[in-house]
This record gives sequence, structure tokens and C-alpha cells, in this order.
Amino acid sequence: MAEKKNHTNPNPFAIARQWFINKQWKPFPFQEDTWNAYLEGRNGLLNAPTGSGKTYALWFACLLEWVNENPKDWKTKKPGKLQVLWITPLRALARDLQQAMQQACEDLGLPWTVALRTGDTSSSERQKQLKKPPECIITTPESLHLLLSQKNSSQLFKNFKSLIVDEWHELVGSKRGVQIELAVSRLMKINVRGPKIWAVSATIGNLGEAMEVLLGKEGAGKAIVIKADLDKKIQIESILPDEVEKFPWAGYLGIKLLPKILPIIEKSQSTLLFTNTRSQTEIWYQQLMDKAPELAGLVAMHHSSLDREVRDWVENALHAGRLKLVVCTSSLDLGVDFKPVETVIQVGSPKGVSRFMQRAGRSGHQPGAVSRIYFLPTHSLELVEAVALKKALKEQVFENRKPLEMCMDVLVQYLVTLAVGEGFEPESIYSEVKNTRCFRNLSREEWEWALDFITTGGSSLDGYEEFNKVQIENGLYLIRNKKLAMRHRLSMGTIVSEPVLKIKFVSGGFIGTVEESFISRLNKGDVFWFAGRSLRFERIKDLTVLVRRSNSNKGIVPRWAGGRLPLSTQLSKLIRETLQDAAEGRSDEPEMLTIEPILQLQSKWSAIPDEKTLLVEYFRSQEGYHLLFYPFEGRAVHELLAALTAWRISRLLPISFSFAMNDYGFELLSDTPIPVEEALEQDLFSLENLEDEVSTSINSTEMARRRFREIAAIAGLVFQGYPGKPITSKHLQASSQIIFDVLKEYEPDNLLLKQAENESLNLILEMDRLKETIARINQQKIRLEKPPKPTPFAFPIMVDRLRERLSSEKLSDRISRMQLSLENYAEKEGFLRKH
Amino acid sequence: MSTEHLISYTTHRHCGQHLLLLAEKAIYWQEEKMLLLADLHLGKAGHFRRAGIAVPGHIHHQDLERLSGLIDKTGAEKVIFLGDLFHSELNNGWFEFTAWMELYPDRKFILVKGNHDIFPPEVYKESRMEIHEQELVVSPFLLTHEPLAVKYQKEGLYNISGHIHPAVLLRGGGMQHITLPCFYFGLHYALLPAFGKFTGFSKIKPKKEEAVFAIAENRVLRL
Repeated sequence: MAEKKNHTNPNPFAIARQWFINKQWKPFPFQEDTWNAYLEGRNGLLNAPTGSGKTYALWFACLLEWVNENPKDWKTKKPGKLQVLWITPLRALARDLQQAMQQACEDLGLPWTVALRTGDTSSSERQKQLKKPPECIITTPESLHLLLSQKNSSQLFKNFKSLIVDEWHELVGSKRGVQIELAVSRLMKINVRGPKIWAVSATIGNLGEAMEVLLGKEGAGKAIVIKADLDKKIQIESILPDEVEKFPWAGYLGIKLLPKILPIIEKSQSTLLFTNTRSQTEIWYQQLMDKAPELAGLVAMHHSSLDREVRDWVENALHAGRLKLVVCTSSLDLGVDFKPVETVIQVGSPKGVSRFMQRAGRSGHQPGAVSRIYFLPTHSLELVEAVALKKALKEQVFENRKPLEMCMDVLVQYLVTLAVGEGFEPESIYSEVKNTRCFRNLSREEWEWALDFITTGGSSLDGYEEFNKVQIENGLYLIRNKKLAMRHRLSMGTIVSEPVLKIKFVSGGFIGTVEESFISRLNKGDVFWFAGRSLRFERIKDLTVLVRRSNSNKGIVPRWAGGRLPLSTQLSKLIRETLQDAAEGRSDEPEMLTIEPILQLQSKWSAIPDEKTLLVEYFRSQEGYHLLFYPFEGRAVHELLAALTAWRISRLLPISFSFAMNDYGFELLSDTPIPVEEALEQDLFSLENLEDEVSTSINSTEMARRRFREIAAIAGLVFQGYPGKPITSKHLQASSQIIFDVLKEYEPDNLLLKQAENESLNLILEMDRLKETIARINQQKIRLEKPPKPTPFAFPIMVDRLRERLSSEKLSDRISRMQLSLENYAEKEGFLRKH
Repeated sequence: MSTEHLISYTTHRHCGQHLLLLAEKAIYWQEEKMLLLADLHLGKAGHFRRAGIAVPGHIHHQDLERLSGLIDKTGAEKVIFLGDLFHSELNNGWFEFTAWMELYPDRKFILVKGNHDIFPPEVYKESRMEIHEQELVVSPFLLTHEPLAVKYQKEGLYNISGHIHPAVLLRGGGMQHITLPCFYFGLHYALLPAFGKFTGFSKIKPKKEEAVFAIAENRVLRL
């Protein structure tokens, strides 16, 4: 019926177009394409970057449908039921979205209400929404599941006409994405009007697959992908050092280049400076204040451990153009546009193409403006990555976001959620769950295990001790116990953070959070830097770290776990290609010219690896015997390869190694000579028995145990206490580690344990990528070089090993000494000319 | 008594007494023929299961088996629990425990109560255990659940306690480190490791002059 009306309506977009004209805008072709496809009743995926007008593409589609269906009375008639369900990954985004969408309704004179439903929504507001449903609800994956845990959820979701998932690329490779898959499977059954489903996504390598994950195979068949070809120009420029160290090491060069960015900051209205970690953000902020005190008051920092109020303040000031510079982490990757931002600076490797391009896109919002991003290397070899990134831009290479499979932890949480809500009937839920991408291979036995887990407490069917959770009444699985229901609602979600403590001034006022592990190392009186301030640790009280301001400018910077980002497969490949170009003299990029002396020395002492060869270096130093491999495949894969090759060599003769690795290669170090030729003749890179030998060579149990923390929390095996309140149920505290050990001993077949093992192998250790790498290596010629000393490629890897052992101050002393002696040697040998 | 059957122990002389520190996380006091252990936390699994947390229900059986083994091997005449014998509210685990005690009709079982031992008094009365609310003096030791602050210590008595679930962090070369449960003998009091399997531990930072014995798998090592 809706379609018929559209056909009879000569100008179905009239209202929308008029709205654009009133704003002195003009709809983009992709926006009209979206309206068209939507009004034809199709599902789809809109591929558009932030700030492109993607919201209006879908929001007006929804509004036009209503207006066209009610041509006479849309200005007065109220649907009285939920029409649009809009999901966004970030609470902070939801607020801005709601304002923009509500405003559009008011401009049109459409009596619709756009409401927020997030963790911030007050309970009175929630009650109001239940009594009088708004026309549109904007929510997050977590809050959507909370809605499913309500007794009357089916009433609310029965009649909506469209489901929009914003920033789907952020969700698709995560457990939150799995939450969406499960929610969609349920909503499509509850809803009687066959709603349309649309994803909005930035560019990723596997858009088609991403769409299929959301819509299901069937739904994706008839769906459409609309690309917003906005032809936005991105310009990449590197900050080049005047002088390159022949022996580069990570972390040193960055700050040295700081003076070079001051003029760039000066010239732009506002600049975002992205670092890869929160610690780096603190350090850069501090250094900027030190080196450019005139910027005080015009510079702020932003990272996820800062108090929400502080972050809000920074975001508002940025909007208002009151800040020249914000030093930030991925915390500002997403979100609404900051119009005043003209320039972006990336410090260090972004580790992936998509992340880099997304950050670049945060600048230059005026129509036709160029997005300008500066790459600031933290060691000179990183300049190779800048060239690789330019190449990626030219060739339009983007990473894939691989959807997760078989997340049993999310499944059991979901089943309990349904049991807390209206209860569920297992057969129909089984077929819904089987229809999702994540659980398409779920077997009967695995399903039965999940049901057992929530009803009898696991496979130990000895009826040992009363287990209270989900009960079965007339075939319906449900939870009647109010306390259990409450506890479940409070612990729902898939984001499991490290245990954190709030930081508060003794005199009052929260500043943010730090991890418990960092604070536990401090003693009273110790000074640390946080939020750009020097703070003196006083004591811990009620899970709060009490501090005073300090005048000391010597303090330590907190470290946050979260680990290093892995180098993406795509970027690794581009780096290898770039090096190959350089080795063959086919590169005239300024970056490559800058590091030419390094490359020259490398090729003189050893060689520059290319696509067809695997470079192996062997040499002796005071430390012992070093064996280095350069697969250029990222730290995670190198970690596995190091353990594996060490293990395989040690089968030839008893020998023990210590390892080091970076994104370019890895090192095995031994205090006795390594039988290199013999080892290389053996098949060090055989695919045979690979998984077993990897598990043996690394401590796979320990890795799984660490991984289990998140799984246990999601599956409800550990109760994290009520948010914002001191733990009141101390009797239910047990660490996931203890539960892991207990399950391993008494229930080795527990599927959550299996999941932990799988996740540690595949997500953390990237087993698939390891196999691909080994297959690639097997196509390559191995080139063994015996350089007289550590080469420029070897040096940063060796430094990484030192870094893990020594405190930072001593380290820099020691490294500069090493660097000096190497350069002296190189000069003496006539390898280098003095500048 | 036949200490040669024990897997591993280390003799520690304290106040002139011979204490065998057992890798099974208990102390055998030779002079008194007494087994000392703390923090069994029986019934904890059941407690979790009641709250809908799916841990295997039978994990405490092994704790009791281990204790049986110790009684048999040492020939102990008395078994003293230094608190947190049972994890909070009454459940089936308690009746299993009292049934287990019947296997040893000629031994004496004594409980010095801990913060988790919160049954109504009649439950304890019905069992054949000897109950002490706060402390028990068996000279030269003062046995408690929580270690006593210096001002509450008693002249001429050395305090042995539990409650803390002590463990020490050992660092090796490279980035290696491991946390091991331990016995601790400090200036003012001693700490026993938690006996129960379903318990965590908290790291202590001993001073140089204090004696610490770490339990590494089946061995007790003086640090």
C-alpha cells in the first residue's frame, strides 16, 4: 500500500527538498537515492562518512514514508506508536542525534517525539516512554537489550516500521555487534509490520559481508548498498626530521619533532592531535605545555579515562572554536563533527588504513575543503608507513571488520535477558538464533548446553546444590526472582573494562579513573600525571584514589592496559610493497628520501627485504647471539612466530631464547651460538602440526585464562557489583581466574572455556593470519645475512626488549650510548658520511 | 606420626615448637599433634549457585579429600580451623561436612570463628565441633581468624591467623612473574594460606627479616 501511494504521489520528496532549500542546502544524490530505495520498501546499507549528512538520508526517508502515507493529516495525526528504532554505538552521539532529528520534525511541523533511551535516561523518563511511546527511540546496543528485558517489550516493538543501525562498522566486528544480531533476530519476530532495516557504515573492506551480518542472508539478497561518493580530498603530509638517526628506536623521535608542529597549530583554526594511547596523550600534553607555554588555555586533552564532565567541556569548547589544539586518543575517532577543526596530526603509526582515513576525515568540513592530516613519526623507519598510507589512499584499500562467531557468553546473557523479560520458548528462540550469522553453526548440543547453563548451572547434572536462575514453567523459560533479575539487568553488556578506581581531590571533585594495577604500585606521596596535572597520591578510600595537587614536575604517567593495536594485514602488505619500491629505487616520496641513509646502511650491512625474500640476520654482540627475522606482519603474528621458531630450533639442540618483536620483525636471543644454517635447512616454517606446536610453544592456558575475564563477566559468572556503588555483595566475589581454574578442573568441556581458548588463538593471536603469513613465507626465498653489528632494522627490535626490562630513564641513557657507539662504528668503517 | 608420607613440607621452628608447613596449605604442629588450617570456605560454590552463578557444585569435595589425606598421613589428633570454615549462609555443603566429620570419631575438631562463619548458634551446637568465638590460646600460640593488631596481642603468645589468603609475587628474568600462595611469619603474627580451592588470594609485601614460605605446586620453598 505504501508503494502505491508513492507512485501516485508526483513528488514524494517535496517536503524534504523544501526543508533543504530553507537551510540553503541541496540534497546530495546519495540522500535522494536512499529516500528512493527506502520508499520502495528496500533494506540496505548506506556507506557514508561522519559529517556527510547520512543522518538526514535515513531520517527523512522515515519521515517521508509517514508523510506520504498520511498526505492530508500528517501535521496533526500522531501515530501513537513507536515508528523508528535508531541504534548508535555511543551514548554521546545519541544526544546530538536526538537534537538534530527532533529539530527536523519541528521545522516540518510534524508532531513526532524523538526520545533517548540510554544508560543516562532517568527512570521517570523511562516510565513516561512506556506509557506514551515516542515515535522514535534512539538507543545503544546495551539499552536495547535492557528494553528486551522489560515485561512489556513485545508491545513496544510490535509496530515500528524501521530499524536503523548507525556506525555499523564500529559494531560489526565486536560482541556488541553480536548483541545487535540477536536483538534483530528477536525484533523481526515480535514486529508484525515487516520493518525495513538499514545500516549506516563508514568504508570498510567487507561492506557486503557487514550488510549480510545485519540483514541475514535472505534479507541482504534484496538489499541495496548506497555509496556516498562525496569525493572528499585527503592530503597526507609527513613531519620530516632534519636529521635521521641511523639507528631509530620507537618513542624517541616523536617529541623531538614537537617544535615542527607548532607553526601548523598556529596556522589552523583548530587542530586534533591523535596519539595511540592514553599515556601518550598525557605525555604530549605535558610536553606541549612545557615547550609552548603561550598555548596554555588553548590546549586541552581528551581520553576515555577522563571524567565525562571534563570530556563534555572539551567537546563543547572545541565546537565553539575556543581551543587551538586537543590532544586525544581514539576517544575522538567517532562522534559529531567539530566544524572548527582544520587540521589533524597523527603521532606514530595508526596501525591501520581505515583508522588513519577516519581521523583524517575529522578535519576540513567546509564544502569543498581538503582534509589535511600530518603524520608525525615516532621513529624514522615509521616514515615508510606514511608512504604506505598514501598508497592505500590512492588504491582505496580498507581493512575488513571480521564478524565474530559463536560467542557463547553473549548467547547465555541474551537468554537470561529474555528470561528476565517476558520469558522464552526454547524452540522458537533456537531457530531465531540459528538464523543469525554469529550462531549459524550452533549445534543442538551446544544449544542444550546453553539452556543447561542457565537452568541447572552447567553440565554437572548431579543436582548437587540448588541452582537459582532460570526456571521452566509450562515450557516457558523465565526468571521470577526479583533480586536475580535486578542483578542481571545491572550487569548486562559486553564491554568489560579493567578494574578502575576513581580519582578525586581530597578537597573534592572527580577528575577521572585509573586502573587498579597502576595505583597499587604507588606509595603515599608519589607523584603522577593525570589529565595534564601533577597529582600527589594520598590514599585509597572506598574505591576512590584521593590526591592533592603537586608542584613537582617529575611524575610518572599512568599506564593503561588495553595493549598495543595490531598492525593491520592491509597496512603490513603496503609496507612491504613500499620497501620493495625503495629497494628497487622506484620511490621518490620525500619520506623515502629522508630515510635513504638508513636504507643505505641497511642494504650495505645486510639487505632490504622485498616481497620475494624473507630476510634473516644473524650476528653476535656482547649480549649474545641474535637471530632476527623480518616478515613485516605485525607484532601479534611475530610473537607467535618467535615462540614457534624458538621451539622448533630447540628441538635440534637444547637452547633457550629470549624474544623481542615489533611490527616489522622479531628477534631470538641466546647466550650460546645458534645453529642457523642447520635450523633454516629444517623446515622452520612448516604448516604441519602448526596449531599444536603453537599451543605448546606459547603458554596457551595462561592466555586463555586472561581472555576468560571478559567472557566470565558477560556470561554472568562474575558479578562486578553495582555501578557507582561500593560492592555490597562481597560474598559473591570470585575472580574469573579462580573460576577458570575450577572449571578447567571440574568441567573441562564447558563451552565458555572453549570460547576463551578460541578467542585467545584467533582474536588475540590471530591464528588465521599466522597461517597466511607462513604460507607466504613458504613462497619466499630465505636470505641469511651476517651483518657485523645490529642493523638499522634490528636496532628498534632490540631496544624493545631492553625497554621491557629497564626503567625508562636508564633506558634512554643506555640507548643513546648504544646509538652513539654504532654510529661511530659505521663511520669508522666508512659506511656513512658525516652530515 | 609418619611425616615421610607427606608430599612435601618444610619444618619451621617457632617459639621452640616444630611446625611442619605442608604443601597442602596447612600446618602440622608436631608437639600438639594438631593440624592448623584456615579459610576453607566450604559451601561457597553452593552459595554462588543459589545466586545463579554457574560454578560446579562439587568443587569442595576435593578440599575435604585433601584434608582426609592430611589427617591420615600426619595422624593428627586435633584439627583446628582458623575461621571462614563455611562461606556464609547454610546450605547442603554444611551437612556434607558434618557427615565427613563422622569418618573421624576419635579426632577433635575445633573452630575459631571467622567473618564468614555466621550460622545461628544452634547450628554449631548441633555439630560435634568445639567453637571459639574470638580466639583460642594453645601456648605459646594465640590462634585467631584475623591477625591481631599489635595492641591486642598478648604477652608471651605469638598470633597465628588466616583471613588474608596471603600470596607473594616472584619475579624472574625477562618479564616473567608468578604469584604463589604462601605462609608468612612476621614479627607480630603468622598467616596461613587459604586451604580452600575456591578462594582467591591477596598479595602481601613481606619485609626482608620476615619469613615467607611459598607453595609452588607440591613444594614449600623458603624465600
